[in-house]
Amino acid sequence: MNSTNNEPLHDDQAPNPERRKFLGGLVGLINAVVVLVVLAPTVGLITAPLRDRNRKGRWVPVMDDDLAMGETREATVELEVKDGYRVTTRQYVVYIHRNRNGLLCFDPACTHLGCRIRFQEEKDRYFCPCHGGVFDSEGKVVSGPPPKPLSRHEVKSEGGKIYVFMKV
Amino acid sequence: MDFRTLTPERPSAPPEDRSEEERLHRERPSWKDWLELRTGWWGFVRKNLNEPMPPGVGWWQTLGNLLLTLLVFQFITGFALAMYYTPSPDGAYQSVRAITYDLPGGSIVRGLHMWGSSFIVVVMVMHTLRTFFWGSYKKPRELTWLVGVLIFQVILAFSFTGYLLPWDQKAYWATVVGIRIAGTVPGVGDALMVLIGGGPEVGAYTLSRFYSIHVMLLPASLMGLILIHLFLVRKHHIAGPVVLKKGKPQPFYPAQLFKDAVVVLVGVGLLVYFAYAFPPALEGIADPTGTEFSPRPEWYFLGLYELLKVMPPGWEVVATLIAPGIVTIGMFLLPWLDRSPHRHPARRQWAIVTATLIILFIATFTLKGIIETPKHHAPAPVTSESPAEIGASATD
Repeated sequence: MNSTNNEPLHDDQAPNPERRKFLGGLVGLINAVVVLVVLAPTVGLITAPLRDRNRKGRWVPVMDDDLAMGETREATVELEVKDGYRVTTRQYVVYIHRNRNGLLCFDPACTHLGCRIRFQEEKDRYFCPCHGGVFDSEGKVVSGPPPKPLSRHEVKSEGGKIYVFMKV
Repeated sequence: MDFRTLTPERPSAPPEDRSEEERLHRERPSWKDWLELRTGWWGFVRKNLNEPMPPGVGWWQTLGNLLLTLLVFQFITGFALAMYYTPSPDGAYQSVRAITYDLPGGSIVRGLHMWGSSFIVVVMVMHTLRTFFWGSYKKPRELTWLVGVLIFQVILAFSFTGYLLPWDQKAYWATVVGIRIAGTVPGVGDALMVLIGGGPEVGAYTLSRFYSIHVMLLPASLMGLILIHLFLVRKHHIAGPVVLKKGKPQPFYPAQLFKDAVVVLVGVGLLVYFAYAFPPALEGIADPTGTEFSPRPEWYFLGLYELLKVMPPGWEVVATLIAPGIVTIGMFLLPWLDRSPHRHPARRQWAIVTATLIILFIATFTLKGIIETPKHHAPAPVTSESPAEIGASATD
């Protein structure tokens, strides 16, 4: 039984090919069950964030409605948000703009790669510090690499206050 | 020799065509043959499937495979748990609570991991006892045994470091006692305590240290040791029964692999049952100032813990260091302590008797600990015999 064990096995005791195939199939089946048993809950746990991505959102008051026609203003809101296992307070910045059709609310993330844009009042333009993206006061791309206009939040004016719908 | 009863030499070649080497080099080989030509993977698979099993090898030789499966389970479930776990005193408890009660699949994955650790200890002890009573540690398999004992130690370290991570009362106080046990080592006890715990008290650095050891050092060590262990097992082949049986060796595949699979199915089935029927709980958050809690270690450390309780003052070091140390060193050195070539238990009576006495001793104390464990770990009033004081007296 020691070193060289490559001597041929006796065929009179070896299982016949059918039995060999049958047992092999059973082994494969058992292995599949065992793998499934551990992978099913584990994959469920790992992919949990996928099922949590469509958050309901809520209307949040962001500022008093004293915005003049054509004016753009930055508003900061503090929101309690669920962050993994904890609830934390997080600051969000939005830009509110009033034009003839009503209110617009922009997310301050550049649509190119997500840098934080800044509004320059004297130029009535948004500028992205990263790659020179420029948007006009209605969120449309003026120049630079951004592929699409600034993304918007729903916004409304009610009882002298401006409310923004935040998906958090 | 009937070649059809063996795994064929090439993945896509009928066994009868063993000599037809050019099949591998034909214009459009199957992808299996293509890969075989470049990696030789089939030769490896074939060698292992055709591994000769001496007559008499059977159900007792399936435990290693079950142990390996359970360890892979720990790796998979641990990977998922680590995605949601935070190793800091501010987040550990809350993150484990979210895993256990909020996240889909969290309770079952944590249950598989928690019960898996107990299953591993049970199967590992059975595997070790089988090897011992069959005398399989003898020449030329001394190093297989030695590496196995190292794996044993690594697994105990896994359970000790993993036990702290939920950062609840049970976890915290078991670790306090565990680290104080290291403090009883003469001379270097205090330094050892600080080194293991990352500070003079169990706290933030203890948690991050245990986490780092649990998910980096130990898995890497275990993988290396298992590879060496498996290599040695295959190199020296299965030892076979103590009394040689008549007959020719059989290939590992399919008969023995089938037995392995059945045992894996039963073991994993039991594990899943436990994970569903007894889901993991979480006690109150770790409270270093609390006096309401009676700490107890995980059940497989209870024997040691009970021994510590019966030691007279000043003799704690016997239970904390000397007794477990002697048993551990004895396990490591077993193949050199028992050097006779005889594998039959009757021909190595002193080894059998000594080991049986030690096993009975550990079993008795473990059983005593299990019987005396309060149900649900209800906060027990601190009495004069309270383990909390014993833990404290070790260093006070």
